[in-house]
Amino acid sequence: MLTAALRKELLLQWRSRAQFMAVFVFGAAALLLFSFAVGPVAEMLRQFSAGFLWLGLLLSSTLTLAESFHTEMENRAMEGLLLLPANPRALYYGKAIANWLQLILLGIALIPVMVVLYDAGTTRVPMLILVIALGTAGLSAPGTLYAAMTAQVRSKQTLLPLLLFPLIVPALLASVKATSLIILGDPMNQMRSWIVLLASFDAIYWSLCGLLFGNVVEE
Amino acid sequence: MYDDNNRFPRLPWIILGLGVLFLAIGSYIGLFVAPPEALMGQVQRIMYVHVPTAWNALLALTFAFVCAVIFLFKSDWKWDARMEASIEVGVVLGFLLCCQGSIWAKPTWGVWWDWDPRLTTTAVLVFAFLGILALRKFVEDPARRAMWSAVATIIASVDVPIVYYSVRWWNSLHQLQSSPSTVSRQFWLPLRMNAFGILFLMTAFIMLRARVASMRLKYELVPPPALGETI
Amino acid sequence: MNGMIPGGWSFVVAAYSVTAIVLIIYGASVIARLRQETARRNHD
Repeated sequence: MLTAALRKELLLQWRSRAQFMAVFVFGAAALLLFSFAVGPVAEMLRQFSAGFLWLGLLLSSTLTLAESFHTEMENRAMEGLLLLPANPRALYYGKAIANWLQLILLGIALIPVMVVLYDAGTTRVPMLILVIALGTAGLSAPGTLYAAMTAQVRSKQTLLPLLLFPLIVPALLASVKATSLIILGDPMNQMRSWIVLLASFDAIYWSLCGLLFGNVVEE
Repeated sequence: MYDDNNRFPRLPWIILGLGVLFLAIGSYIGLFVAPPEALMGQVQRIMYVHVPTAWNALLALTFAFVCAVIFLFKSDWKWDARMEASIEVGVVLGFLLCCQGSIWAKPTWGVWWDWDPRLTTTAVLVFAFLGILALRKFVEDPARRAMWSAVATIIASVDVPIVYYSVRWWNSLHQLQSSPSTVSRQFWLPLRMNAFGILFLMTAFIMLRARVASMRLKYELVPPPALGETI
Repeated sequence: MNGMIPGGWSFVVAAYSVTAIVLIIYGASVIARLRQETARRNHD
């Protein structure tokens, strides 16, 4: 049931890959704008590159997440899906995983932008990808839940970030810190604590949101 | 059918009056009777309102969490009304806490915000629960509104300890000196009096605000017939 | 932290005033809304 839901989601995303391109351009543009806020001071840009990357990812994620329930809302497919003898939990995890994968791809796509704009290169790419995976997982779990809620409400564009941003503060902090350690160096070996924090956040929210999703979509 | 619990209609007003009394007396003692503290001087007196506000803000939001959980299991409108009330009161107290903390930080640290983990967590909390209040405003169906805000409240409440620890860890890497204990040597009397004062005020506010919420709800669920119509 | 913080009174007054103002304004708004709802209920 989960694999069916997941397969459907990935198919939907593949069909709307133009949307992914648009979100990527948005993210890259955001990274560019951040550099204008700081000024062309190479050392400072490099110092804050992790923060910029994750802020860019966070802002882009609101677009991705909001879009993920767009098809359901358009054709009133939500009710149709729920009438099937499928678990709403499968629907949730299918969407959350699909969103997560899309965000990981977005994060990876933004790495070269970050490297170029902020001179923030690193050799520890697998570690960086791990941090991106864990951080975006933290965005995707509550984000998908709130996207399901706000999709059915007017003023959805403002409500989703309003609800999501305060919530993911720990994930944001940890992701920025961990990424910063990768780019700038980790002399005191703090990486592990941040990874553990991220992993705990993910574990808690992937289970909690799945549990509560049924309450959000029931009639 | 839901009926607002007016078994003791006068009770909130009595509690309100007690709250004002305790807070007035406690503040008077804190301001004029208690001696200034050795290290911080007069600024220490801010703690006599800041600490009680902190306790009660946390209490209000904890109660909101409890109401949310109970609502999920019992689906009783009463608990939705109480949850709405305690979220609103918690947000107001949390906002007040940030103001007080800021006023305390300026003379102490020279900046308006010192990224203290407790205060920073409070700020994040205020935003989170303000978002939930906004969510309530935008959802028209009462059942859905109640369910969704209960879910959001649980999600936000679970986040509180996580936010606190992450900010504390994040902050400790930069702060060269530790924050002085905010509950350093002080006169216990004004603290306790103000604690009860704000507790009573908070309780009264929640009771009255819950009454407002349940009256509105009643109106929504059974709107009166329009003029000229018969049922 | 060494020594006393001079001239702290203005901050103390500010903190207590903010507390009083916020509590009074919020209390007044709750009471006002309660009056409004009661009036609406009694009207019908």
